[in-house]
Amino acid sequence: MQTDRTLPANKLIFEVRRDAALRARFRDDLDGLMRDYGLSAEEQQALREINLQKLSDLGMHPYFLPQVARLFKGAGYNHNDSEAARLYADRMLK
Amino acid sequence: MAEIVSVIALAHAPGATGWLDKAPAHEQEAIKVGYGRMAGRLRAARPDVIVGIANDHMLNFSVENVPDWCVGIADRWHGPSEWFRDWINVPDYAVAGNRDLGRTIVRECAKRGINLAFSEKLEFDDNWSVPLNFLTPDHDVALVPIHMNCVLPPMPQPERCVAFGRALAEVIKAWPQKLRVAVMATGGLSHDPGGQKYFDVDEKFDRWFLELLEAGDEARVLRELSIEKMLGAGDGGTVELLAWLVAMGAAQTLAPGRGSETMFYVPSVPLRCGMGGVEWAVCA
Repeated sequence: MQTDRTLPANKLIFEVRRDAALRARFRDDLDGLMRDYGLSAEEQQALREINLQKLSDLGMHPYFLPQVARLFKGAGYNHNDSEAARLYADRMLK
Repeated sequence: MAEIVSVIALAHAPGATGWLDKAPAHEQEAIKVGYGRMAGRLRAARPDVIVGIANDHMLNFSVENVPDWCVGIADRWHGPSEWFRDWINVPDYAVAGNRDLGRTIVRECAKRGINLAFSEKLEFDDNWSVPLNFLTPDHDVALVPIHMNCVLPPMPQPERCVAFGRALAEVIKAWPQKLRVAVMATGGLSHDPGGQKYFDVDEKFDRWFLELLEAGDEARVLRELSIEKMLGAGDGGTVELLAWLVAMGAAQTLAPGRGSETMFYVPSVPLRCGMGGVEWAVCA
């Protein structure tokens, strides 16, 4: 674990999971949302591209990584062959 | 006086309710039977309230301000938290809290030098939704939820977890109300959300851990079970077993030297978690 507690992306993901209105913005206006939360250009690019490894390298908390995959690909029926789990495997596993 | 009638610890992985059908039939059966056995034992103990200890999966406490423990003191709780509904796949539920007991735990632990946060509002995810779905599906036993930090360093060390469990048992036992209390830790066993072992289970570690608890030797647990060892078995989630150490501390206070009984264990890769549960016979 090398979480950067102060990374703006951590605050964004924390709050998006707790707030349906923010989830709507995550879906419809991700760029504006990321600007409002003060994400760096590097963070913005990594999140836009769902580059989980990069987000991890920047200091995103590990718990948020599969959750980012679920925010983009859906959280339901999250078995190992689900879209969100496959995305995680593709972007994270070495 | 209040009485602790049951001390248990069990896994809460969301696959058990969210995608159990993706596990092979023998795993499904063993998990259902295992949770069912634990439900039977809990029922037999006739608790009025469950004092639960579980990881707060970074749902209630932002990285800015994370308490080691936070006691829920509300009169009523609701779950699952909205975004987690699809994932966990259990019906929405409400369960009574117990404000007097929650406040007593905070107040009396403070006198013992243990600083606990407390809250009227806690969002629930798999930490309570999955175990309650199997143990008390009618949600007819009240819950005092204690959320803890198992995932954002620095986590409370094993010694502090056991000490908290001991204080918890003493505080509950000293409470001058006639109440039957179950202590329930949830979390673990090996799993690694956010890490390289996301699709693995560390069966060797899990079986070692379960045998360690069965031996009932608290000093040995503290000697051999470090946070680093838990991190090695999956650093995203295995450290949730710190909650089990709180339960163990409570059990050791009530029945010193008594080991746990493993109720079930299933190393389930489809569920991405070592699934299992234990009970400490504290009334026998």
